[in-house]
Amino acid sequence: MDKVDKFSEEQLNAFVDGELDSDEKSRVFNESQRSQELDQRLCQQRKLKELVKHAYLDVPAPMRRQDLRGRQGGFWRSAVAASVLLLLGVTIGFYAQEFTGQHYVVRGSESGLVSVESVSHPVVGGRKYILHVASGQSEDMFLALETAQYLLDSAAPGQVNRVEVVANESGLNLLRSDVTPFANEIQLLQENNVVFYACSRTIERLEEKGVEVDLLPDANHSFTALDRIVLRMKDDWEYIKI
Amino acid sequence: MVGDTIFGLRQRRTFKKMVGSARTRLYRMAYAWTHDPYLADDMVQQTLCKALNNQRQLRDMAAADAWLFRILANCLKDHYRAKREVLLGDDQVRVEYVTPETQTQEQQLVDSVRLAVSRLPLAQCQVITLVDLEGFTYAKVAETLEIPVGTVMSRLCRGRAALRNTLLDAKSQLPTEQAGTVTRIRQIRENNG
Repeated sequence: MDKVDKFSEEQLNAFVDGELDSDEKSRVFNESQRSQELDQRLCQQRKLKELVKHAYLDVPAPMRRQDLRGRQGGFWRSAVAASVLLLLGVTIGFYAQEFTGQHYVVRGSESGLVSVESVSHPVVGGRKYILHVASGQSEDMFLALETAQYLLDSAAPGQVNRVEVVANESGLNLLRSDVTPFANEIQLLQENNVVFYACSRTIERLEEKGVEVDLLPDANHSFTALDRIVLRMKDDWEYIKI
Repeated sequence: MVGDTIFGLRQRRTFKKMVGSARTRLYRMAYAWTHDPYLADDMVQQTLCKALNNQRQLRDMAAADAWLFRILANCLKDHYRAKREVLLGDDQVRVEYVTPETQTQEQQLVDSVRLAVSRLPLAQCQVITLVDLEGFTYAKVAETLEIPVGTVMSRLCRGRAALRNTLLDAKSQLPTEQAGTVTRIRQIRENNG
Protein backbone atom coordinates (compact mmCIF):
# COMPACT_ATOMS: atom_id res chain seq x y z
CA MET A 1 0.00 0.00 0.00
CA ASP A 2 1.32 3.44 -0.88
CA LYS A 3 2.58 5.57 1.92
CA VAL A 4 2.44 9.30 2.08
CA ASP A 5 5.08 10.74 4.38
CA LYS A 6 5.35 7.51 6.38
CA PHE A 7 1.62 7.14 6.83
CA SER A 8 -0.26 4.35 5.17
CA GLU A 9 -3.45 4.88 3.23
CA GLU A 10 -5.27 3.06 6.00
CA GLN A 11 -3.97 5.53 8.56
CA LEU A 12 -4.96 8.47 6.40
CA ASN A 13 -8.44 7.04 5.91
CA ALA A 14 -8.73 6.44 9.61
CA PHE A 15 -7.65 10.03 10.28
CA VAL A 16 -10.33 11.42 7.97
CA ASP A 17 -12.93 9.08 9.49
CA GLY A 18 -12.03 10.01 13.06
CA GLU A 19 -10.84 6.53 13.89
CA LEU A 20 -7.34 7.32 15.10
CA ASP A 21 -6.54 7.70 18.76
CA SER A 22 -5.49 11.16 19.86
CA ASP A 23 -1.74 10.47 19.77
CA GLU A 24 -1.78 9.14 16.26
CA LYS A 25 -4.14 11.85 15.16
CA SER A 26 -1.76 14.48 16.46
CA ARG A 27 1.13 12.88 14.58
CA VAL A 28 -0.74 13.03 11.30
CA PHE A 29 -1.96 16.52 11.94
CA ASN A 30 1.49 17.84 12.81
CA GLU A 31 3.04 16.18 9.80
CA SER A 32 0.36 17.60 7.51
CA GLN A 33 1.40 21.07 8.64
CA ARG A 34 4.88 20.36 7.35
CA SER A 35 4.16 18.30 4.26
CA GLN A 36 2.22 19.76 1.39
CA GLU A 37 1.89 16.33 -0.17
CA LEU A 38 0.32 14.90 2.96
CA ASP A 39 -1.93 17.90 3.37
CA GLN A 40 -3.11 17.56 -0.23
CA ARG A 41 -3.79 13.88 0.18
CA LEU A 42 -5.85 14.50 3.31
CA CYS A 43 -7.81 17.17 1.47
CA GLN A 44 -8.48 14.69 -1.32
CA GLN A 45 -9.72 12.09 1.15
CA ARG A 46 -12.04 14.57 2.80
CA LYS A 47 -13.32 15.77 -0.55
CA LEU A 48 -13.99 12.21 -1.65
CA LYS A 49 -15.94 11.53 1.51
CA GLU A 50 -18.05 14.64 1.00
CA LEU A 51 -18.65 13.77 -2.65
CA VAL A 52 -20.01 10.37 -1.70
CA LYS A 53 -22.24 11.85 0.98
CA HIS A 54 -23.49 14.52 -1.38
CA ALA A 55 -24.24 12.06 -4.16
CA TYR A 56 -26.79 10.22 -2.02
CA LEU A 57 -28.47 13.10 -0.20
CA ASP A 58 -31.46 12.84 -2.52
CA VAL A 59 -32.14 9.45 -3.98
CA PRO A 60 -34.94 8.60 -6.37
CA ALA A 61 -37.91 6.69 -5.02
CA PRO A 62 -39.52 3.93 -7.01
CA MET A 63 -42.75 4.73 -8.82
CA ARG A 64 -45.09 1.99 -7.73
CA ARG A 65 -47.48 0.40 -10.15
CA GLN A 66 -50.40 1.40 -7.96
CA ASP A 67 -49.35 5.02 -8.31
CA LEU A 68 -49.29 4.60 -12.07
CA ARG A 69 -52.67 2.92 -12.01
CA GLY A 70 -54.00 5.85 -10.03
CA ARG A 71 -52.64 8.24 -12.61
CA GLN A 72 -54.28 6.25 -15.32
CA GLY A 73 -57.60 6.70 -13.61
CA GLY A 74 -57.85 3.38 -11.86
CA PHE A 75 -58.27 4.93 -8.46
CA TRP A 76 -60.81 7.43 -9.69
CA ARG A 77 -62.75 4.71 -11.45
CA SER A 78 -63.02 2.95 -8.09
CA ALA A 79 -64.13 6.17 -6.41
CA VAL A 80 -66.81 6.72 -9.03
CA ALA A 81 -67.98 3.15 -8.63
CA ALA A 82 -68.28 3.66 -4.89
CA SER A 83 -70.31 6.81 -5.40
CA VAL A 84 -72.63 5.03 -7.75
CA LEU A 85 -73.23 2.36 -5.14
CA LEU A 86 -74.14 5.03 -2.62
CA LEU A 87 -76.54 6.73 -4.97
CA LEU A 88 -78.26 3.43 -5.59
CA GLY A 89 -79.11 3.34 -1.90
CA VAL A 90 -76.63 0.80 -0.72
CA THR A 91 -75.48 1.53 2.80
CA ILE A 92 -71.87 0.84 3.19
CA GLY A 93 -69.44 1.47 5.96
CA PHE A 94 -65.75 1.85 5.50
CA TYR A 95 -62.86 3.22 7.47
CA ALA A 96 -60.69 6.03 6.27
CA GLN A 97 -57.08 6.47 7.33
CA GLU A 98 -57.16 6.47 11.07
CA PHE A 99 -54.28 8.79 11.82
CA THR A 100 -56.32 10.72 14.30
CA GLY A 101 -57.81 7.70 15.98
CA GLN A 102 -61.17 8.61 14.55
CA HIS A 103 -62.87 6.69 11.87
CA TYR A 104 -65.46 7.70 9.39
CA VAL A 105 -68.63 6.00 8.29
CA VAL A 106 -70.24 6.88 5.02
CA ARG A 107 -73.92 6.18 4.85
CA GLY A 108 -76.04 6.34 1.78
CA SER A 109 -79.78 6.43 1.67
CA GLU A 110 -82.40 5.53 -0.87
CA SER A 111 -82.83 9.17 -1.69
CA GLY A 112 -79.19 9.33 -2.63
CA LEU A 113 -78.18 11.63 0.18
CA VAL A 114 -74.81 10.86 1.59
CA SER A 115 -73.67 11.67 5.06
CA VAL A 116 -70.27 11.30 6.53
CA GLU A 117 -70.07 10.78 10.21
CA SER A 118 -66.99 11.13 12.20
CA VAL A 119 -67.34 8.81 15.10
CA SER A 120 -65.01 8.24 17.92
CA HIS A 121 -63.81 4.75 18.41
CA PRO A 122 -66.89 2.79 19.52
CA VAL A 123 -65.17 1.19 22.47
CA VAL A 124 -62.70 2.17 25.08
CA GLY A 125 -59.88 -0.21 25.84
CA GLY A 126 -60.46 -2.77 23.10
CA ARG A 127 -57.20 -4.21 21.93
CA LYS A 128 -55.92 -3.96 18.38
CA TYR A 129 -54.16 -6.70 16.50
CA ILE A 130 -52.63 -6.98 13.08
CA LEU A 131 -52.03 -10.52 11.89
CA HIS A 132 -49.46 -11.14 9.20
CA VAL A 133 -49.83 -14.17 6.94
CA ALA A 134 -46.94 -14.87 4.59
CA SER A 135 -47.44 -18.59 4.18
CA GLY A 136 -49.75 -20.29 1.73
CA GLN A 137 -49.81 -23.54 3.67
CA SER A 138 -53.39 -24.51 4.47
CA GLU A 139 -52.69 -25.04 8.13
CA ASP A 140 -51.10 -21.59 8.41
CA MET A 141 -53.98 -19.86 6.68
CA PHE A 142 -56.44 -21.77 8.85
CA LEU A 143 -54.48 -20.80 11.94
CA ALA A 144 -54.64 -17.16 10.90
CA LEU A 145 -58.42 -17.27 10.66
CA GLU A 146 -58.74 -19.19 13.90
CA THR A 147 -56.50 -16.66 15.60
CA ALA A 148 -58.53 -13.77 14.24
CA GLN A 149 -61.69 -15.35 15.63
CA TYR A 150 -60.03 -16.04 18.94
CA LEU A 151 -58.90 -12.43 19.23
CA LEU A 152 -62.41 -11.21 18.57
CA ASP A 153 -63.82 -13.61 21.14
CA SER A 154 -61.24 -12.81 23.77
CA ALA A 155 -62.24 -9.19 24.18
CA ALA A 156 -62.96 -8.06 27.71
CA PRO A 157 -66.63 -7.61 28.63
CA GLY A 158 -68.07 -4.48 27.05
CA GLN A 159 -65.13 -4.13 24.71
CA VAL A 160 -64.49 -5.03 21.10
CA ASN A 161 -61.09 -6.00 19.83
CA ARG A 162 -60.07 -4.85 16.39
CA VAL A 163 -58.33 -7.23 14.07
CA GLU A 164 -56.74 -6.80 10.68
CA VAL A 165 -55.19 -9.56 8.59
CA VAL A 166 -52.42 -8.73 6.14
CA ALA A 167 -51.43 -11.33 3.56
CA ASN A 168 -48.35 -11.27 1.38
CA GLU A 169 -46.03 -13.62 -0.45
CA SER A 170 -47.67 -17.04 -0.72
CA GLY A 171 -50.02 -16.02 2.07
CA LEU A 172 -51.85 -14.00 -0.57
CA ASN A 173 -53.52 -17.28 -1.51
CA LEU A 174 -55.73 -16.70 1.52
CA LEU A 175 -57.42 -13.84 -0.31
CA ARG A 176 -57.36 -15.02 -3.90
CA SER A 177 -60.86 -15.96 -4.89
CA ASP A 178 -59.72 -18.71 -7.25
CA VAL A 179 -57.37 -20.31 -4.74
CA THR A 180 -58.51 -19.83 -1.18
CA PRO A 181 -60.42 -22.65 0.50
CA PHE A 182 -61.62 -20.23 3.18
CA ALA A 183 -63.87 -17.80 1.34
CA ASN A 184 -66.86 -18.46 3.62
CA GLU A 185 -64.83 -18.20 6.80
CA ILE A 186 -63.32 -14.93 5.62
CA GLN A 187 -66.72 -13.53 4.77
CA LEU A 188 -67.96 -14.34 8.27
CA LEU A 189 -64.96 -12.61 9.80
CA GLN A 190 -65.47 -9.60 7.58
CA GLU A 191 -69.03 -9.40 8.80
CA ASN A 192 -67.53 -9.19 12.27
CA ASN A 193 -65.35 -6.27 11.16
CA VAL A 194 -62.12 -8.10 10.57
CA VAL A 195 -60.40 -6.25 7.73
CA PHE A 196 -58.28 -8.15 5.23
CA TYR A 197 -55.41 -6.64 3.27
CA ALA A 198 -53.74 -8.16 0.25
CA CYS A 199 -50.21 -6.89 -0.28
CA SER A 200 -50.09 -4.69 -3.35
CA ARG A 201 -46.48 -5.54 -3.96
CA THR A 202 -47.12 -9.25 -4.03
CA ILE A 203 -49.97 -8.63 -6.45
CA GLU A 204 -47.67 -6.61 -8.70
CA ARG A 205 -45.10 -9.38 -8.75
CA LEU A 206 -47.65 -11.98 -9.66
CA GLU A 207 -49.10 -9.83 -12.40
CA GLU A 208 -45.63 -9.26 -13.80
CA LYS A 209 -45.36 -13.02 -14.15
CA GLY A 210 -48.64 -13.10 -16.03
CA VAL A 211 -50.73 -14.38 -13.14
CA GLU A 212 -54.20 -12.93 -12.93
CA VAL A 213 -55.01 -12.06 -9.36
CA ASP A 214 -58.66 -11.98 -8.38
CA LEU A 215 -59.30 -11.12 -4.77
CA LEU A 216 -62.19 -11.92 -2.52
CA PRO A 217 -64.78 -9.19 -2.15
CA ASP A 218 -63.75 -6.39 0.20
CA ALA A 219 -60.13 -7.51 0.38
CA ASN A 220 -58.21 -4.26 0.48
CA HIS A 221 -55.18 -3.98 -1.78
CA SER A 222 -54.20 -0.36 -1.35
CA PHE A 223 -51.11 -1.02 0.72
CA THR A 224 -48.08 -3.17 0.75
CA ALA A 225 -48.05 -5.55 3.67
CA LEU A 226 -45.18 -3.76 5.26
CA ASP A 227 -46.76 -0.33 4.90
CA ARG A 228 -49.88 -1.51 6.65
CA ILE A 229 -47.99 -3.28 9.39
CA VAL A 230 -45.72 -0.34 10.09
CA LEU A 231 -48.66 2.05 10.03
CA ARG A 232 -50.53 -0.02 12.58
CA MET A 233 -47.55 -0.67 14.77
CA LYS A 234 -46.93 3.06 15.01
CA ASP A 235 -50.43 3.27 16.39
CA ASP A 236 -49.72 0.62 19.03
CA TRP A 237 -51.41 -2.24 17.27
CA GLU A 238 -49.99 -5.56 18.31
CA TYR A 239 -48.22 -7.43 15.56
CA ILE A 240 -48.66 -11.17 15.24
CA LYS A 241 -46.88 -13.22 12.64
CA ILE A 242 -48.62 -16.44 11.75
CA MET B 1 -50.64 -16.31 24.29
CA VAL B 2 -50.84 -14.28 21.15
CA GLY B 3 -48.27 -11.71 20.14
CA ASP B 4 -46.58 -11.47 23.49
CA THR B 5 -42.90 -10.78 23.06
CA ILE B 6 -40.17 -10.89 25.58
CA PHE B 7 -39.75 -7.17 25.39
CA GLY B 8 -41.06 -4.87 28.03
CA LEU B 9 -43.46 -2.18 26.99
CA ARG B 10 -40.77 0.47 26.73
CA GLN B 11 -38.58 -1.71 24.54
CA ARG B 12 -41.51 -2.52 22.26
CA ARG B 13 -42.22 1.14 21.74
CA THR B 14 -38.56 1.90 21.14
CA PHE B 15 -38.33 -0.92 18.65
CA LYS B 16 -41.38 0.24 16.73
CA LYS B 17 -40.07 3.79 16.66
CA MET B 18 -36.69 2.58 15.49
CA VAL B 19 -38.11 0.49 12.67
CA GLY B 20 -40.28 3.35 11.49
CA SER B 21 -37.46 5.88 11.43
CA ALA B 22 -34.91 3.54 9.86
CA ARG B 23 -36.77 3.07 6.62
CA THR B 24 -35.45 6.19 4.88
CA ARG B 25 -31.89 5.42 5.88
CA LEU B 26 -32.18 1.82 4.83
CA TYR B 27 -33.57 2.85 1.47
CA ARG B 28 -30.74 5.33 0.89
CA MET B 29 -28.22 2.63 1.67
CA ALA B 30 -29.97 0.02 -0.46
CA TYR B 31 -30.07 2.48 -3.34
CA ALA B 32 -26.36 3.23 -2.93
CA TRP B 33 -25.67 -0.50 -3.10
CA THR B 34 -27.89 -1.26 -6.06
CA HIS B 35 -28.70 2.01 -7.89
CA ASP B 36 -32.03 0.41 -8.67
CA PRO B 37 -34.96 2.12 -6.91
CA TYR B 38 -37.25 -0.89 -7.27
CA LEU B 39 -34.72 -3.38 -6.04
CA ALA B 40 -33.74 -1.06 -3.21
CA ASP B 41 -37.36 -0.73 -2.16
CA ASP B 42 -37.79 -4.50 -2.29
CA MET B 43 -34.73 -5.01 -0.15
CA VAL B 44 -35.96 -2.53 2.43
CA GLN B 45 -39.38 -4.18 2.51
CA GLN B 46 -37.77 -7.55 3.12
CA THR B 47 -35.45 -6.12 5.71
CA LEU B 48 -38.17 -4.52 7.76
CA CYS B 49 -40.37 -7.60 7.51
CA LYS B 50 -37.51 -9.76 8.76
CA ALA B 51 -36.77 -7.25 11.49
CA LEU B 52 -40.38 -7.28 12.64
CA ASN B 53 -40.52 -11.04 12.56
CA ASN B 54 -37.26 -11.49 14.40
CA GLN B 55 -37.34 -8.66 16.85
CA ARG B 56 -36.77 -11.11 19.67
CA GLN B 57 -33.24 -11.62 18.37
CA LEU B 58 -32.40 -8.03 19.16
CA ARG B 59 -31.38 -8.06 22.79
CA ASP B 60 -29.70 -4.69 22.92
CA MET B 61 -31.39 -1.70 21.33
CA ALA B 62 -27.99 0.00 21.07
CA ALA B 63 -27.07 -2.60 18.45
CA ALA B 64 -30.24 -2.05 16.45
CA ASP B 65 -28.61 -0.05 13.68
CA ALA B 66 -25.94 -2.61 12.93
CA TRP B 67 -28.56 -5.36 13.18
CA LEU B 68 -30.92 -3.73 10.69
CA PHE B 69 -28.22 -2.95 8.16
CA ARG B 70 -26.88 -6.46 8.53
CA ILE B 71 -30.28 -7.80 7.62
CA LEU B 72 -30.28 -5.48 4.61
CA ALA B 73 -26.86 -6.71 3.49
CA ASN B 74 -27.95 -10.32 3.85
CA CYS B 75 -31.18 -9.71 1.95
CA LEU B 76 -29.17 -8.30 -0.93
CA LYS B 77 -26.74 -11.19 -0.81
CA ASP B 78 -29.63 -13.65 -0.92
CA HIS B 79 -31.15 -11.73 -3.82
CA TYR B 80 -28.00 -11.94 -5.91
CA ARG B 81 -27.53 -15.60 -5.05
CA ALA B 82 -31.07 -16.37 -6.08
CA LYS B 83 -30.49 -14.70 -9.41
CA ARG B 84 -27.52 -16.99 -9.88
CA GLU B 85 -25.74 -14.44 -11.97
CA VAL B 86 -22.28 -15.35 -10.89
CA LEU B 87 -19.57 -15.71 -13.46
CA LEU B 88 -16.00 -16.76 -13.09
CA GLY B 89 -13.35 -14.15 -12.87
CA ASP B 90 -12.07 -11.56 -10.48
CA ASP B 91 -14.06 -8.69 -11.83
CA GLN B 92 -17.29 -7.90 -10.17
CA VAL B 93 -19.73 -5.63 -11.86
CA ARG B 94 -23.14 -4.92 -10.48
CA VAL B 95 -25.83 -2.77 -11.93
CA GLU B 96 -24.21 0.26 -13.46
CA TYR B 97 -25.74 3.58 -12.63
CA VAL B 98 -27.55 5.04 -15.63
CA THR B 99 -27.18 8.76 -16.08
CA PRO B 100 -30.25 10.60 -17.36
CA GLU B 101 -30.11 12.30 -20.70
CA THR B 102 -30.51 15.86 -19.50
CA GLN B 103 -28.22 16.92 -16.75
CA THR B 104 -27.46 20.06 -14.90
CA GLN B 105 -23.88 20.58 -13.92
CA GLU B 106 -24.65 19.66 -10.35
CA GLN B 107 -26.46 16.53 -11.45
CA GLN B 108 -23.43 15.59 -13.57
CA LEU B 109 -21.31 15.60 -10.46
CA VAL B 110 -23.80 13.45 -8.58
CA ASP B 111 -24.06 11.08 -11.52
CA SER B 112 -20.32 10.72 -11.89
CA VAL B 113 -19.98 9.80 -8.23
CA ARG B 114 -22.85 7.32 -8.40
CA LEU B 115 -21.43 5.75 -11.53
CA ALA B 116 -18.03 5.39 -9.88
CA VAL B 117 -19.59 3.87 -6.76
CA SER B 118 -21.71 1.50 -8.83
CA ARG B 119 -18.57 0.21 -10.49
CA LEU B 120 -16.97 -0.77 -7.21
CA PRO B 121 -17.17 -4.34 -6.02
CA LEU B 122 -20.14 -4.66 -3.72
CA ALA B 123 -17.95 -5.40 -0.71
CA GLN B 124 -16.04 -2.15 -1.11
CA CYS B 125 -19.19 -0.18 -1.92
CA GLN B 126 -20.88 -1.39 1.25
CA VAL B 127 -18.00 -0.42 3.48
CA ILE B 128 -17.59 3.03 1.95
CA THR B 129 -21.28 3.85 2.06
CA LEU B 130 -21.75 2.63 5.62
CA VAL B 131 -18.88 4.87 6.72
CA ASP B 132 -19.62 7.90 4.57
CA LEU B 133 -23.43 7.91 4.46
CA GLU B 134 -24.27 6.52 7.88
CA GLY B 135 -21.16 7.59 9.78
CA PHE B 136 -20.60 4.09 11.07
CA THR B 137 -17.37 3.50 12.93
CA TYR B 138 -15.11 0.81 11.58
CA ALA B 139 -16.11 -1.44 14.45
CA LYS B 140 -19.78 -0.95 13.65
CA VAL B 141 -19.19 -1.69 9.98
CA ALA B 142 -17.34 -4.84 11.00
CA GLU B 143 -20.28 -5.87 13.19
CA THR B 144 -22.78 -5.07 10.47
CA LEU B 145 -21.05 -6.96 7.69
CA GLU B 146 -19.66 -9.63 10.00
CA ILE B 147 -16.07 -9.12 8.90
CA PRO B 148 -12.91 -8.22 10.81
CA VAL B 149 -12.05 -4.56 11.31
CA GLY B 150 -8.87 -5.09 9.31
CA THR B 151 -10.96 -6.19 6.35
CA VAL B 152 -13.10 -3.09 6.74
CA MET B 153 -10.02 -0.93 6.55
CA SER B 154 -8.52 -2.68 3.57
CA ARG B 155 -11.78 -2.60 1.60
CA LEU B 156 -12.14 1.06 2.43
CA CYS B 157 -8.63 1.69 1.17
CA ARG B 158 -9.15 -0.09 -2.11
CA GLY B 159 -12.53 1.41 -2.69
CA ARG B 160 -11.48 4.97 -1.97
CA ALA B 161 -8.36 4.54 -4.08
CA ALA B 162 -10.54 3.47 -6.98
CA LEU B 163 -12.92 6.39 -6.45
CA ARG B 164 -10.03 8.80 -6.15
CA ASN B 165 -8.56 7.60 -9.42
CA THR B 166 -11.90 7.96 -11.16
CA LEU B 167 -13.22 11.16 -9.63
CA LEU B 168 -10.28 13.23 -8.57
CA ASP B 169 -7.68 12.28 -11.14
CA ALA B 170 -7.22 15.30 -13.41
CA LYS B 171 -7.19 13.08 -16.46
CA SER B 172 -10.48 11.37 -15.72
CA GLN B 173 -13.56 12.33 -17.65
CA LEU B 174 -17.18 12.47 -16.65
CA PRO B 175 -19.18 9.46 -17.83
CA THR B 176 -20.93 9.75 -21.14
CA GLU B 177 -24.71 9.77 -21.07
CA GLN B 178 -26.35 6.40 -21.26
CA ALA B 179 -29.88 6.37 -22.56
CA GLY B 180 -32.15 3.43 -22.36
CA THR B 181 -32.92 0.85 -19.73
CA VAL B 182 -30.78 -0.10 -16.79
CA THR B 183 -27.88 -2.38 -17.59
CA ARG B 184 -28.60 -5.57 -15.77
CA ILE B 185 -26.14 -7.36 -13.63
CA ARG B 186 -23.39 -8.85 -15.72
CA GLN B 187 -21.02 -10.33 -13.23
CA ILE B 188 -21.25 -10.71 -9.56
CA ARG B 189 -18.89 -12.38 -7.25
CA GLU B 190 -18.48 -11.93 -3.59
CA ASN B 191 -15.36 -9.98 -3.29
CA ASN B 192 -13.51 -10.58 -0.17
CA GLY B 193 -10.81 -8.17 -0.98
